[in-house]
Parts: sequence; structure tokens; C-alpha cells
Amino acid sequence: MLKVQEIRELIKLVDQSNIDEFVYESEGSKIKMKKNAVETITVSQPQQVAIPAVQPQQVAEPVAVQVVQSAPTQPVQEVVKEDTSNLHKITSPMVGTFYQSPSPDADVYVKPGSKVTKDSVVCIVEAMKLFNEIEAEVNGEIVEILVKDGQLVEYGQPLFLVKPE
Amino acid sequence: MQSEIRKKLLDAFSNNEDQYLSGQTLADTIGCSRTAIWKHIEELRKDGFELEAIRNKGYRIVKTPERVSADEIRLGLKTKYLGQSIHYEDAVDSTQRVAHRLAYDQSMEGTVVVAEEQTLGRGRMERKWYSPKYTGIWMSIILRPKIPLPKAPQLTLIAAVAVVQAIEELTELTPQIKWPNDILINGKKMTGILTELQAEADQINSVIIGMGINVNQKLEDFPIELREIATSLAIEQGVYFSRSAIIRSVLTHLEKLYFIYIEKGFFPIKILWESYAISIGKTIKARTLSNVIEGKALGITDDGVLRIEDHSGEIHYIYSADIELSE
Repeated sequence: MLKVQEIRELIKLVDQSNIDEFVYESEGSKIKMKKNAVETITVSQPQQVAIPAVQPQQVAEPVAVQVVQSAPTQPVQEVVKEDTSNLHKITSPMVGTFYQSPSPDADVYVKPGSKVTKDSVVCIVEAMKLFNEIEAEVNGEIVEILVKDGQLVEYGQPLFLVKPE
Repeated sequence: MQSEIRKKLLDAFSNNEDQYLSGQTLADTIGCSRTAIWKHIEELRKDGFELEAIRNKGYRIVKTPERVSADEIRLGLKTKYLGQSIHYEDAVDSTQRVAHRLAYDQSMEGTVVVAEEQTLGRGRMERKWYSPKYTGIWMSIILRPKIPLPKAPQLTLIAAVAVVQAIEELTELTPQIKWPNDILINGKKMTGILTELQAEADQINSVIIGMGINVNQKLEDFPIELREIATSLAIEQGVYFSRSAIIRSVLTHLEKLYFIYIEKGFFPIKILWESYAISIGKTIKARTLSNVIEGKALGITDDGVLRIEDHSGEIHYIYSADIELSE
């Protein structure tokens, strides 16, 4: 592993050069520098450390990964820090297409911040023209919508996070 | 809703059975203008009454419209559950809404809701389903299957097979199924099926199958924008059919298939479904909310999911889409 002094020296050199990107790898350590509008420097040992997500991420496999998505009205840090373990997850009872509203022109059933009761309809999951209106099952407030309108959802896939009351 | 004039008009015909009544006589009896009489005679015709009009003699009712009341459906019905409880209405917003309420109130399995007219008939995405009075079958069927919830969509394919079998039994026509459950004759839509679920978490409470079957519409009964894409049994075969006989046949076939399904699973249904399918082996377009997939329809999976192979050879599994048959 390089010393801080050496890294500092490297940054200076790269900064003054015409190099846009610089990767240094040795004995499982890796240094990666990138000169764009936003400069990111990551140091990892022995594996690469994930860059903290600032932007909402699109994740290819939504089943297994918890996506951190910022609610539009809330500061990012607050969401990241928030512990979701006490939140109720509304999951899909079948494979199908997720719809946020009864028709493309209609208002959405719920959005983040919406108050729901146990039997409030929160969305529709449809497969083969069978329409299943999904209910909240708890009294509370919608914190986050985890899938997009029109997206195919799996059996058991979390659709909403609800803060129970 | 019957207007006062219509009521008096029907009374006048009832009191003078088989006699011709002139427009003037009717106008005098009822106390309105001859134009009003003419207008109401036309309304009756639209509602399925057949009236004979002879110059210098007047009007006579030749045939009253067939109803699909509980009595008419029940006569000759040999099912065990389906249609053993029939909820009949002259006009409703949608038979699905009525069925939802009945299902919620613990009505028995096989309860059927049928109406002469729907004012707010609807299809997928709340698209309007045109359901004028006395012309078609506007019906919802309540089932309470003891199956895992993820399997419920298969019931929509079973419903399609039942309708096709009923049409084959009672007409000379050859209906085909467009995935998942539209029924076409000569490429035009004759039946639409929409199914809704009442569930408590993972438990099915009820499955409500809604059907719109176009039976006795004439071409001019359809709005212009539907004439190219919709059809009825009467248009296709050139004769009128008894709607209650078709309802009985649909219920009988559906019950039989439903029992097979509960006992043996989806596989026997899959074979039947594919034998009636229009799109297998053909190039189709599957239009979803976000994209369009074009390719060859290979068939359905053991769950009823549509398989399409696109031009690069990739196989797509379609759970929901509007299907267009490419030329």
C-alpha cells in the first residue's frame, strides 16, 4: 500500500499531466484516479470499495439488492442514514406487471408521503389480464416506491416501504 | 329507466294484442305528437323489439327482445355450481362492480351476475367496453378456487377456452384465441375477458371473471371506430342467437374445464388453449407500457405465459401486453 504522501504526489502529477484516468495496481491494492468534471479517487485494499451512491441507482437485479433512492423532497443524507428495518414491505403476491394507477391517464394510487390504511389499494399487479389490486395491509405512510410503473415484478418482490403507525 | 311515453306505448300494444295501431291512434291515446310516437318506436327497435309497419294500418309488435333473466338462463342449465345463483339486472354500471360487492358479501362460488346493459363496461386499462342493451352477454362469474395465488392468471385462459367451446357448440363459426384471452372471429374481436382478484395477502378470496360477448349486434350497432375491429356472432353468421343458450353453454364448458384444472392442473388446458390460438408460429407485436417486442409467437409456458422469439433469437416471456398480429 502506498503512503499518503506518495498518493498526494501522484495526484499532483496526474493533475498536471494530460492523463484523464490513472490506475495503479499492486499486491491487491488498487488506486484509481479520474479527471472529469467530478473527480473521484478510490483506494481499495484488498477489494475495491464501493463508491457511496449519491445519485439514485438503477440496479439490474432488483430482487436481491436494496436500492437507496432519494425521495424528491427529502435531503439525501437523511434517506441514506434512515434505518429501514422497522418499515413494512409490501411485496408482490405474483409475477406480473406493476401499475401505479388504474389507467395511464389516471392519478397514481399512492406516492411517497401518502397515508394508507390496511385496505388502501396501493397498486395493481397484472398478468394475463388478471388484475390484482394490492392492499397496504398496514396503517401508515408510504416512504418509498421500489419499482417503476409498467415494470415486471417477481413473486415476493418488495414494491413499497411503509412506515407503520 | 322507462319513460312515461314508452310505458303508455307498450300498454297500448298490450291492450290491443296483434292489432295494428296507427301513429295517430297512438298519439291520441297517449296524448303526445306523432313525431314523439315515431321517435319512441325507433327506440323500441334499437332495444330489440321487432315492429311491423304497414301503410294505412299502423304498427304492430312482432317480437319482443329476448331477456337473459335468471329464469331464462336456468331453464336447461345442468351445472353443479356455475349459475346456480344468478343475479340479474336490467342495467348496471358494470357487472364486475356488482360481482365484487357480492363476492365481498360471501356469495357462493359460481354466482353469476348478468345484465341487459352496462353503462360503464370496461376492459384492460379501464378502456371502455361497448355493451348496449339486449345485444350481447355482459356477465361476471365468481369463483373461489383453492389454488396458490400466483396461479390465478391461468383462469383467464380457461375462461377463453370455455367461450370458444360454447361458440363452436352453438354456431357454425370458428373462433380463435388471441393471447391471453381475446376471442376473434375472422380477425375481429368478438369477446373480451377481464378478470379481477380479491385476495388477503397470499390467499385468494375470490376470482371474478368478467366477459363481454358480442352476440346479436348488427354492424350499424357498433360505433364507426369499432366496425373494423369488432364483430358479433349475428354479423358473422347472419342469424340471431339466443343469449341465454350461449350463457348456459359457457357456464357448462367453464365448469367442466375448471374441474379438470383443479384436479389435473393447467397442462390439459394448455393443449386446448394452443389448439385454438391464432398467433402461434406467427409474427406478432407485444406492446407493453414501456416497449414493443416483435417476433415469432412460440406458444405458452406451462403457466400460460406467452413466449416470443425475436429476430436475434432471444426468447421473451410476456406476462402482460397488447398483442398485434403483424401482416
